[in-house]
Amino acid sequence: MNLPILSLIVFSPLVGALAIAALPSSHPNLIRRTALATSLVTWGLSLLLLAAFSVDGAGFQFGETADWIPDFGIQYKLGVDGLSVLLIVLTTTLTWISILASFDPIKTRVKEYMISFLILEVGMVGVFAALDLFLFYIFWELVLVPMYLIIGIWGGANRIYATMKFVLYTLVGSLLMLVAILATAWTHQTATGSWAGAFDFETLQAFAAAGSFGRDFQILAFLALFLAFAIKVPMFPFHTWLPDAHTEAPTAGSVILAGVLLKLGAYGLIRFAIPLYPEAAHAFAWPIIVLSVVAIIYGAIVSIVQPDLKRLIAYSSVSHMGFVTLGIFVFSATAYQGAILQIVNHGMITGGLFLLVGMVYERTHDRTIARMGGLGAVLPLWSTAFGFFILASAGLPGLSGFVGEFLVFVGSFVYAPWIAVAAIGAMVLAATYLLWMFQRVGFGPVSDFIAGLGDHMTDMTRTELATIAPLAALIVVFGLFPGLILDFLGGPARVFLAAAGVGGG
Amino acid sequence: MNWSDLGCIAPVVAAVLAAAAVLVVDMVAPGRRRPALIAALAGLGAVALTVLALAGHVETAFDGAYKVDDLTVFLDALFLIVAALTILLAGDYLEPRGLPMAEFAAILLFAIAGAMLISGAADLLLLFVALELMVLPGYVLAGFARRDPYSTEGAIKYFLLGSFSSAIFLFGLAYVWGITGSTRVDAVAAALIEVAATGKIAPGLALGLAFVTTGVAFKMAAVPFHYWTPDAYQGSPTPVTAYLSVGPKIGAFAIALRLLVAALGPVKEDWLPVLVVLAAVTMTMGNLVAIAQDNVKRMLAYSSIAHTGYVLVGLAAYAGGRDDGLWAILFYLSAYTFMNMGAFAVVAALQRRPGVSSNIATFAGLGRRDPWLGALMALFLLSLTGIPPLAGFWAKAYVIVAAIEAGGWPAALAVLAMLNAAAAAFYYLRVVVYMYMREPAAEGRLAAPGLLFRAGLGATAIGTLAFGIFPAVLTAVGNAALVLIG
Repeated sequence: MNLPILSLIVFSPLVGALAIAALPSSHPNLIRRTALATSLVTWGLSLLLLAAFSVDGAGFQFGETADWIPDFGIQYKLGVDGLSVLLIVLTTTLTWISILASFDPIKTRVKEYMISFLILEVGMVGVFAALDLFLFYIFWELVLVPMYLIIGIWGGANRIYATMKFVLYTLVGSLLMLVAILATAWTHQTATGSWAGAFDFETLQAFAAAGSFGRDFQILAFLALFLAFAIKVPMFPFHTWLPDAHTEAPTAGSVILAGVLLKLGAYGLIRFAIPLYPEAAHAFAWPIIVLSVVAIIYGAIVSIVQPDLKRLIAYSSVSHMGFVTLGIFVFSATAYQGAILQIVNHGMITGGLFLLVGMVYERTHDRTIARMGGLGAVLPLWSTAFGFFILASAGLPGLSGFVGEFLVFVGSFVYAPWIAVAAIGAMVLAATYLLWMFQRVGFGPVSDFIAGLGDHMTDMTRTELATIAPLAALIVVFGLFPGLILDFLGGPARVFLAAAGVGGG
Repeated sequence: MNWSDLGCIAPVVAAVLAAAAVLVVDMVAPGRRRPALIAALAGLGAVALTVLALAGHVETAFDGAYKVDDLTVFLDALFLIVAALTILLAGDYLEPRGLPMAEFAAILLFAIAGAMLISGAADLLLLFVALELMVLPGYVLAGFARRDPYSTEGAIKYFLLGSFSSAIFLFGLAYVWGITGSTRVDAVAAALIEVAATGKIAPGLALGLAFVTTGVAFKMAAVPFHYWTPDAYQGSPTPVTAYLSVGPKIGAFAIALRLLVAALGPVKEDWLPVLVVLAAVTMTMGNLVAIAQDNVKRMLAYSSIAHTGYVLVGLAAYAGGRDDGLWAILFYLSAYTFMNMGAFAVVAALQRRPGVSSNIATFAGLGRRDPWLGALMALFLLSLTGIPPLAGFWAKAYVIVAAIEAGGWPAALAVLAMLNAAAAAFYYLRVVVYMYMREPAAEGRLAAPGLLFRAGLGATAIGTLAFGIFPAVLTAVGNAALVLIG
């Protein structure tokens, strides 16, 4: 197929954004529908990509290469493997769901909001498709600006503090990453004597596989990249921006933050930091594993005491993402697949939870757990859905959340049993904070606060159901047939482990 | 002097004639803005033609005191752009305040004539004279709003510290001349190659170097020689600030290129430590103090100090052995011209009504009051922050590539520069916060700016958007840098 399908997926949202820019802001409904249509087209294209992708094919598929700044060997180079295909589809899926979920809540400056959201999608898909380090960096930074605006303009009361914190944290990491990327390219340039391929990921990976990056250089470059990605994941102790950003962002912003933006960090570690600097990755594996376990347990414990629904889910993300980094750094095929499953699942489950909390917020303008109570009687459909996502998040077998965490346990048990024991302990904590929260919100007598709202407490609308249902269906499907995802990961897992220097197994 | 000498300094002569023409027009039609404006723009057009005619030529004039090469043409073109943008942006600001357009344009053209003389100067004395020609009109411009005490205060500070630094610079030149026995740049360089071969630098030369560096650092507004900058920038009429933040700064770096690089290149290892410290202190101080500012003009003044620091990183990379640092400097200065003048232009647009302050509160809700102006300001600020794919990002990236290539201390500077850029995001984005995330203090849309102003603003925006990915620009910068590398 000669169709540049990756470029189409990356830039179709931009076309939609430009079209919306030309529409008059006095027609918010037209703008909303155009944005949704654009994101659905992008989604459709990504499904085509998924269908056309060959699971058995080696290396990167649908490659597109063009010279961009030949003086420095910077290319416009896109390509996908099984991992990036999954993440691209996750992104496009969550984007249209988020846009649909923004129809009612976003009432001011709809035009700017939708443009921001579509540009955000360009950046996110671009990050997953870029195979040139420079291009990757550009897409990476492109994600920052729309999210800054989305939190800062359409967010909650404390939005300005939250958005500045988000930007500054991310920027410190990403600018150091830029230095590391340039230094990597320069090291390649001095070794080969030409800038050709100095930013090309495949060239650099071959260069790294030959052991051409010195150990000292690897340590510095890895640390810079690791910092950038660890802030994004976010790993303990770089997570403090997350609860603020999640809490203050509008619902759809939280969905994308949790569903995709956090994954950018994990993806960066898997795709770039480890394969390019394997020696350093091994040197730092233990401290990172320890930090991951701390994040898993710490996130869970802090979640228990959160008084705010969104904040609770935000901290649970810290815990869940700890499983991802743990799965990556124990360097085993099982744990790797578990980590990726966890990435996809967390995107769907936490995305769904944020959507559901957003619905309650729309009706009550409050998220305080203590003021809720008895929602099961008032909003039966909503409560059913909420309970379903909570069980999925707690890792109930049969739903997708379980499989990912289970695989990470197995992989890390082989590596060092105590890690798995500690992490499994956190699952008990997860059940505690999730079920206790559900109990306080869903069960018991209807609280005075909820009762006082009277007729405002209507159950889910059809639009809201349309945002939740696909996610719920996928959670069941992937819970029963995790092979649907795992099939994509066999190849990338082998390549990853080979690049990380742990045999070709 | 012969005709070919005259041909080489044709742009300078044309600029002086254009300034004179503006004054003559003002005598014929006193106080009328439009004729003066037309004369100034036509004059700039004529200067542009002479610069274009020189493109590609490599010649020396006046017994080697003045050189025309790709670097000269490049810098001339940059000065020309600065002058044209300043004149386009000034009208809307000067008119409501009753400040005369003709005098403004004439003084600016005189300053540009001096700047163009720097860009080709190959003689120490000529460099000094050219520098003075460039900065003296700058003092007048800074105090252009005669009845405004802040303008006068800024001008006095600028004038006193400026003259002081010029004297120091001249003093340093005297030492260099005394040690090397010549005022011609290439003769100085030849003499210094011998000095470098002995491996020992004479105390007199070290002293001269120190004085020259200090003098140039004053004009660049590098810390700790920056004290005039905030007051001069804040006090000056906003279009003048726009000019001061780029024109004299480019001039100062032109001196650095012509003098430090071309003449003192052979002993560059000796000034590397000085540059490293200067760059590190300049960007860090500039950024930290900028964070605390509530006045946008003053904030941009400190930001311009920080940007001087980033450019100095490029110079440090050159001193550390990487010639790429030089073209990174040229690229940075060009990109900075567009984005910084653009930012000041938006400030000027807000201040169209006399009495409107440049306090950050003025920007509250700008995104709603004037969506275009808000969006452009956001663009310039994001570019100054260094967000890809805007001009400011490429500028920083190229400087950092050079610094990493140089390794050692310059590479450490690259890391420091990036940490600084992250800190700088705070104060740039703070303005965006006010524009988009705060309610406007005064309702109602702003009066639409004039046609010329819009043209100038549009040009800065296009420059900021397209500069980084415009290959022709890269080639021009590369050729200009090649002159120095040889």
